[in-house]
Amino acid sequence: MINTLLKRLLNMLLLLSFQVLILNHVQISGYGTPLVFACMILYMPMGSVRTGILLWGFCTGMLVDIFSNTPGVASGSMTFAALIQQPLLRLTVPRDAPENIEPSMQNMGTGNFVRYAMLLMLFHHLVYYGLESFSLYHMTDAVLLMLTSWVSSVLLALLLEAFRRKN
Amino acid sequence: MRELLDRISQNVHWVVFLLLEVLSGFLLFKFNHYQGSVWFTQANTVAGKVLEWEAKGLQYMNLGKENAYLVRQNTLLQHNLNVLRHELAGLKGDTSVTQRYHIDLLKDVEMIPAQVISNSVRQRDNLITINVGSDDGVQPEMGVVSGTGVVGIVSKVTPHYSLVLSVLNSRSSISCRLRGTEYFGYMKWNGGNPLQVSMDDVPRHAKPRIGDIVETSGFSSLFPPGIFLGRVAQIHNSGDGLAYSLEIQMGTDIAHVQNVCVLKYNMKEELDSLRRQ
Repeated sequence: MINTLLKRLLNMLLLLSFQVLILNHVQISGYGTPLVFACMILYMPMGSVRTGILLWGFCTGMLVDIFSNTPGVASGSMTFAALIQQPLLRLTVPRDAPENIEPSMQNMGTGNFVRYAMLLMLFHHLVYYGLESFSLYHMTDAVLLMLTSWVSSVLLALLLEAFRRKN
Repeated sequence: MRELLDRISQNVHWVVFLLLEVLSGFLLFKFNHYQGSVWFTQANTVAGKVLEWEAKGLQYMNLGKENAYLVRQNTLLQHNLNVLRHELAGLKGDTSVTQRYHIDLLKDVEMIPAQVISNSVRQRDNLITINVGSDDGVQPEMGVVSGTGVVGIVSKVTPHYSLVLSVLNSRSSISCRLRGTEYFGYMKWNGGNPLQVSMDDVPRHAKPRIGDIVETSGFSSLFPPGIFLGRVAQIHNSGDGLAYSLEIQMGTDIAHVQNVCVLKYNMKEELDSLRRQ
């Protein structure tokens, strides 16, 4: 119990500093910024307490908001992603998987994990950029921003996953 | 009864979800009006410190570029000084009322040097965090400039840090005019290129030309008149065809700005109270 908590806190700290200190300065060809902090809820095992996932998501989003001056944007989108994480995981996990499976390439199979990460990130980015622009004033810009950001976030998440497996 | 309790405990996450989303929405919408919310931004002490360390580290890497800026700024100031000296010599004993007024205005501006610790240019509403706050005499609604022109307006202040509404923000609008003429307008940013802003509602008889200098008008009591903003890059017709809308090439590249000055305008309260009457 305490172990999981510490592991998650450390995870959060790493993701947060990666996002705030490095990724917030990155722009993919003048457009999107990879939003890697959504990985925080990507790793929640199946059957976790859903209120817990929501709180973890909200807190991570809140901290990102504080450090990047986007009040409510990251916390709102992370809360939403936290809500749909369990159903998405159930949808993409292989049928014969154990009840409390921890999402990773090894446990789910590469294809399933990629699908799961892409879906979760997509919903997160939709809400994030929806809240951020909040109007259809620069519709094409917003869509392009979201797509570049989404693609780069998914690639980074997969890279992190490969890295995580080694350790 | 048991079943009901079970039902509730199974679905409690929906309630939590709604609560958290409402909280996020509250932050999203109330941020601009709610003074206390400054704690939820980079201007709070912990976030400020972390970002300041980061900025300090990054500054070493940018020293070369920063030096070039400083040299340019120095040259510009030297040039201005020469021009002013020349003019002063010519006008001594014969200073007209308007010029005295201008010199008086500049005398009342106190400059507080500051460093940018966090900055963005790619969002719709960009904010800059600087490392001076109310302890250094900074207050909301003060102008912020760099050596190459206007940077923004202070919007929120904590004891050691301030949040600056960048020129590149949909909410910022700076009163400006064409140098040499007294035709004024408001400078706005429409998103996209951080080096391009627009000035709307310039009357047709102002006859703007490409390359004309745009400067602050001094009407807003945030900036003294005559601070460089940029040059006219393109001239378009406004929507109703009655006026011009100018596209302006910014003098300051907000993305690279590091050393800035907060303008403490001692006459501000007097001007504001006058305007209220």
